[in-house]
Amino acid sequence: MKTTLIDSPVANVANIARALRTAGAELEVTSDPIAIANAEKLVLPGVGSFIAAMHWLTTNGIDDAIRDAVKRGTTLLGVCVGHQLLFDISHEMGSTRGLGLVNGEVRKFDGILPVPQIGWNRVAARGPLFEGVEDGIFYFVNSYAAVNAPDETASADYGGPFTAAVQRDRVFGVQFHPEKSSAAGLRVLRNFIAWT
Amino acid sequence: MDVIPSLDLLGGNIVRLLRGDFANVTTYGDPETVLDSLDVPRGSRLHVVDLEASRSGYPVETNIVQRLATRGLHIQAGGGIRSLDDARTWIDAGAEKVVIGTVAADAPEVLRTIVEDLGEDRVIAAIDVRDGIVRVGGWERDAKSSLAEVLRRVEELGIGEALITDISKDGAMRGPSFALYRSLRTNLRIIASGGVSAISDVVSLGRIANVSGCVIGRALLDGRIRLAEARARVATTNAIPERVIPCLDVRDGRVVKGVNFVDIRDAGDPVECAMIYEHAGADELVILDISATDANRNTALETVRRVSESLFIPLTVGGGVRTIEDFRALLRAGADRVAINTAALRNPQLIADCAREFGVQAVVLSCDAKRTGDHFEAMVRSGKESSGVDAVEWCRRAEELGTGEILLTSVDRDGTNSGYDIELLRAVTGVVKIGVIASGGAGSVEHFRDAIESGGARAVLAASLFHDRRLSIGDVKHFLANEGIPVR
Repeated sequence: MKTTLIDSPVANVANIARALRTAGAELEVTSDPIAIANAEKLVLPGVGSFIAAMHWLTTNGIDDAIRDAVKRGTTLLGVCVGHQLLFDISHEMGSTRGLGLVNGEVRKFDGILPVPQIGWNRVAARGPLFEGVEDGIFYFVNSYAAVNAPDETASADYGGPFTAAVQRDRVFGVQFHPEKSSAAGLRVLRNFIAWT
Repeated sequence: MDVIPSLDLLGGNIVRLLRGDFANVTTYGDPETVLDSLDVPRGSRLHVVDLEASRSGYPVETNIVQRLATRGLHIQAGGGIRSLDDARTWIDAGAEKVVIGTVAADAPEVLRTIVEDLGEDRVIAAIDVRDGIVRVGGWERDAKSSLAEVLRRVEELGIGEALITDISKDGAMRGPSFALYRSLRTNLRIIASGGVSAISDVVSLGRIANVSGCVIGRALLDGRIRLAEARARVATTNAIPERVIPCLDVRDGRVVKGVNFVDIRDAGDPVECAMIYEHAGADELVILDISATDANRNTALETVRRVSESLFIPLTVGGGVRTIEDFRALLRAGADRVAINTAALRNPQLIADCAREFGVQAVVLSCDAKRTGDHFEAMVRSGKESSGVDAVEWCRRAEELGTGEILLTSVDRDGTNSGYDIELLRAVTGVVKIGVIASGGAGSVEHFRDAIESGGARAVLAASLFHDRRLSIGDVKHFLANEGIPVR
């Protein structure tokens, strides 16, 4: 089955593409809404600002293409800011609506520990994405996260618990960077590619 | 581990004595005001010491304990408790536990009477130790028993907790005696006291098996440690691994090794090294291009591109970054983070500009520090030239400007294998909140532990030690894990 990686200018697409290929994906990299709407398996990457990422999706009709694909039964994986875009809303400098594909809100860390979080952190996970790495250590770079999201499948702690991964039906999201998480990250991507 | 604020009482105020000297008093104000300023939440344990009682032998500040008990604090009170009547006085005033020193070491029969009357849960044995010897009576004479004997006696009485203070370090801000606490062979829950001056000290104590609490006095009062932050760090201490980072010094596309930054020799292909290190468990890779000039800039970018294409761990690259365009080119070539050194010292605004353009997470300050008299100076041009800037102050300023982490190299120790410069590390980690990567001097597994445990480093870096295979990354991680330090 082909995997379609959304070619976003606000993401480190090259790194994710390389990791997906290493994990065994037959990869298509595109920003064409029609190709995205018809994808069998979709990956939505993202780094930096939620607002900028969401703006790029909406101005290029990619938000609707992703929703259409999910409605048809496409399996979707959001990575880092791509994971945050799946939620209802983010409170990054005001409030911005996300794709609304999973329940919950994204908020800034409370600042007890240094923000952004930069580094490895252990998760407590379950579900098909984490088979074999249920207590894996993954690499995070984030200032924002959901907390106790209803669709949470992995949690971690950074001055308090936060949601490290979600799953709602065929929609998956991971707050960490699987492409920077060595063998554990590649395992998550392999699990995603293998999942039907 | 419990993080327990400790307040010394004298004349109705919170005070500190330097090295137990009543002639050397710092006053911080009345207890309620001080507790509010420290943000001590309800339900906290609170350690109070009646200094006048410890001198005169009679409880004095019982009314303060009475007042504080109404704030929902679990108070453990101590200071010169020498009889059952003294102990009862504190319990009647609202203390949950009494902390008993002199008689625990010197007069076990009195201690037994107190335990039998109040119950063993209400008694904490306080033991002052200097250079491994138990000290009593206001620290002015040696006790009759050895530390091991005192601990055994306390344990036999059914007491569960012992407060062990290393008085050679108390208040002197040099850090606790981790070796002392690690060496204890006892079933007692140990509360560590003395020398805790940075959050990393709290985290490191929490990693020692039988340490179940630590009391913090002056560092809280002086604002060096925030209680909420210390408790948050302790709560996540086992989830967030400390990192082991191999460093590739690269010149003209080949890995070389620097001894004190001169006398360089070839040691391999960077891509091959990078892949071996990731496979061996490296948490991150640092590439320092030590020959970076405009002429070979493209060679360096090509090396970064090739290495990043073979790696699935974060890659930090430094060397010769002068402008925001140099920074951007390295990120485009595949670096996750870029280290700036000389250029930032000459133009600190470069840090702020790069942080705004690429995010704080992409910016690493590389600081080469050299001992100069009684302070450390930031060096430029690969450690060869003095900048006139204080290294510790420079690191603090760089955090404000927007650096995500600091790569701190001791120029004096680099290439010597004699251990990281712990004083340098403590000086910097004590004043910044962001992570510090220790660099320069690693020669044994213990050095890596000390950089993290005593130095407060969040990552440890080495180059030649790994290239020459004198130690493997696995050796280092295995040792750290056995010492209670979490690794990936």
